[in-house]
Amino acid sequence: MSTMGMDLVNLLIRLLLSPRVFAPVVFPGLLTALIVLLIIIWAERKIAARIQMRVGPLYVTRHFGGVLQMLADGTRYMFQEFIIPETADRIPFVLAPVLALVLAILPFAFIPSAPKFAPVTSPLSLPAVLAVLSAIPISVLLMGWSSNNKFSIQGAVREAFMSLAYEIPLFISALSMAILYGTMSLEEMVDKQPIPGFLLNPIAAFTFLVSMVMSAGKLPFDIVEGEQEIVAGPYVEYTGIIFGIGMGLAYLKLYALSLVYTIIFLSGWEPLPEVLYRFYPGVAGIFLFAKAFLLMLFVVFLRSVYGRYRLDQAIRIGWRIYFVLSVISLVFSVGVKVITYV
Amino acid sequence: MLSMSSDIVSSKLLFREGDESAYELFIGPQHPSSGHMRFIVRLRGDIIVSVDPDIGYVHRTMEKLAEGREAIKAIPLLERLTIIDSHNATVALVTAIERLLDAEPPPRALYLRTLLSEINRIASHLYGMGIAGIMLNHSTMFMWAFGDREVWLQLAEELTGARLTHTYSIPGGVRRDLPQRFKERFEKAARYMEKRLEDYMKIFFRNPQVASRYEGVGVLRKSEAQKLGIVGPNLRASGVKYDARLADDYCAYSELDFEVPVREEGDCMARMLVRVEEIRQSLSIIRQVLDKMPTGPILAEKYLKLLPPKIREQATRSGHVKFPGVFATLKLPAGEAVARAEMGHGEIFYHVVSDGSAKPYRLRVVTPSFRNVVLFRYLPPGHRFMDFPAIYGSLDYFPPESDR
Repeated sequence: MSTMGMDLVNLLIRLLLSPRVFAPVVFPGLLTALIVLLIIIWAERKIAARIQMRVGPLYVTRHFGGVLQMLADGTRYMFQEFIIPETADRIPFVLAPVLALVLAILPFAFIPSAPKFAPVTSPLSLPAVLAVLSAIPISVLLMGWSSNNKFSIQGAVREAFMSLAYEIPLFISALSMAILYGTMSLEEMVDKQPIPGFLLNPIAAFTFLVSMVMSAGKLPFDIVEGEQEIVAGPYVEYTGIIFGIGMGLAYLKLYALSLVYTIIFLSGWEPLPEVLYRFYPGVAGIFLFAKAFLLMLFVVFLRSVYGRYRLDQAIRIGWRIYFVLSVISLVFSVGVKVITYV
Repeated sequence: MLSMSSDIVSSKLLFREGDESAYELFIGPQHPSSGHMRFIVRLRGDIIVSVDPDIGYVHRTMEKLAEGREAIKAIPLLERLTIIDSHNATVALVTAIERLLDAEPPPRALYLRTLLSEINRIASHLYGMGIAGIMLNHSTMFMWAFGDREVWLQLAEELTGARLTHTYSIPGGVRRDLPQRFKERFEKAARYMEKRLEDYMKIFFRNPQVASRYEGVGVLRKSEAQKLGIVGPNLRASGVKYDARLADDYCAYSELDFEVPVREEGDCMARMLVRVEEIRQSLSIIRQVLDKMPTGPILAEKYLKLLPPKIREQATRSGHVKFPGVFATLKLPAGEAVARAEMGHGEIFYHVVSDGSAKPYRLRVVTPSFRNVVLFRYLPPGHRFMDFPAIYGSLDYFPPESDR
């Protein structure tokens, strides 16, 4: 009996520590993502408060600068009534946020956190991550449409327009790096970077960064939520924890894209801490995490500098500047590849 | 004239009554950026085809209430028109009552009124700029302007004892004399403000993102501004040099040297920059006021005489005038008087009619926001929907003021 129990415990530990479970569930996946979500929103508010001569969140855990404020807010959302409006289309209204959340967490199944430590080892992990992320706007569209509210429909239409404006530069600039490295696997990309990728192709790095900000709906491109015009855009009819999911969605997307950005352009987990790697490969990705977190801090800092661009301006920027830039980066990558091949 | 101005408005409308193909949005009264009012915005695609401003949600019957009470009690009542700019809102009322009573305030009182008016104007412009900032979701501009407004509220509190509802001007003078060391405190605030205005230029007005939202948006041409009867910075941004401080003789403005900032472009950016320039001018006016401040009493001789000797002596010594009891029953001579003043938002106009009793027979007020509200119908059509908050912010419209 006791040996059977030991076996079961061993099995559970082995299961938990296998890359297939540990990476998507613990690090850098779900659990870390939730902690990042709490910390980054707090950090965003603290940075903005510092610049704007305020103190920011302080009331909850006063000795630690109010860091648990987001947890308190989340708990409050949990106990809030979830109202489904009479006029809403019930099934998609409830299912769309769930779908969006699933799609926002799914990319962690493809993102490696250390060499040979990817939950799903695939030669096509880069397009897989981008494909999953680009499906989120569809569920947001569904949220806005099924709410059956004039403001939320406006928000849904904005989401549709915006996703067309940023997806294409995002994909092309990622693709240009794939051509440069000669692989579409995120894991191999890190090995192929003698110097960080943003030095190899700065145009692609810049285009990807801006598309990332657009995709996460951070200022100056928080057009979809557009508080001053359409209140909360697609999320206007949502209450309670589902509203919280809508709010967290952008940050989850930002986190996933920051990890991808770090892997493609900032040489991922290099320099690899050997000691940690020998101890357990799952925790060797701390530099990957640190770089991604700094990148996120930079993106949320933009809120203190910019206001919001107009919808038509953002679409024009996406198509006329960043689409062109991404094509240039693609040509650049092909050129470099041809020259080095000869 | 009236038909002409309504022609201007309807010539810009892209919408025919009863057209159901337009997408109708109700912005307000419960909306993050509507203020205490409602806008019925009709869209075709992303283009605004018409905006109906629906005012009156904060109508408090101020004109009627003023008829039911003694003239002096109208001052704290009408301060609530524009609580952010309360001295400018009531100084014209006091001037009108003085014209009826034929009471000439002493020069020192006039200078003190000018001082508070300009402090109020700076605070009001900062409030407007903050709101304009948050309408573009530029939270830094919002927080900075609202934070820096506090400096001026504190100065006003030092001068009058109240942060917002000062009730400083009374018929024949002012309630309090200048506190000691006020000049040094003002100089400190002025140096801070000048530094901050440069910061505002860096983070907001020269920010390429803000410039792209403001430049060429909501253009009000000079001729149209004149025909629509627009007042205040919105008018001056369209190239018309009109300011009630120059047009009417009130406070001590005729003895001071100041510029009235005018810009030609008439777009949102011009309206905002006129306000920035007006803050600079206000600082210069306050400097002059404090330099030239004449000595003497702060209440007209004719009312000072009515005070009991003990209180009179105390008033001259402490510089605090308690409301003399006689003010409560002050009989307004039969007749009528008008007065106007330049508020932060524009020109305010009072018409007081008296039948010889202590209460005004009729008290009429035309507020600047009420005269500017037509711009909501006129300016946004043809613009993108997201330009609506940008235009709203740049107009510095204040619903409670318009609703009275």
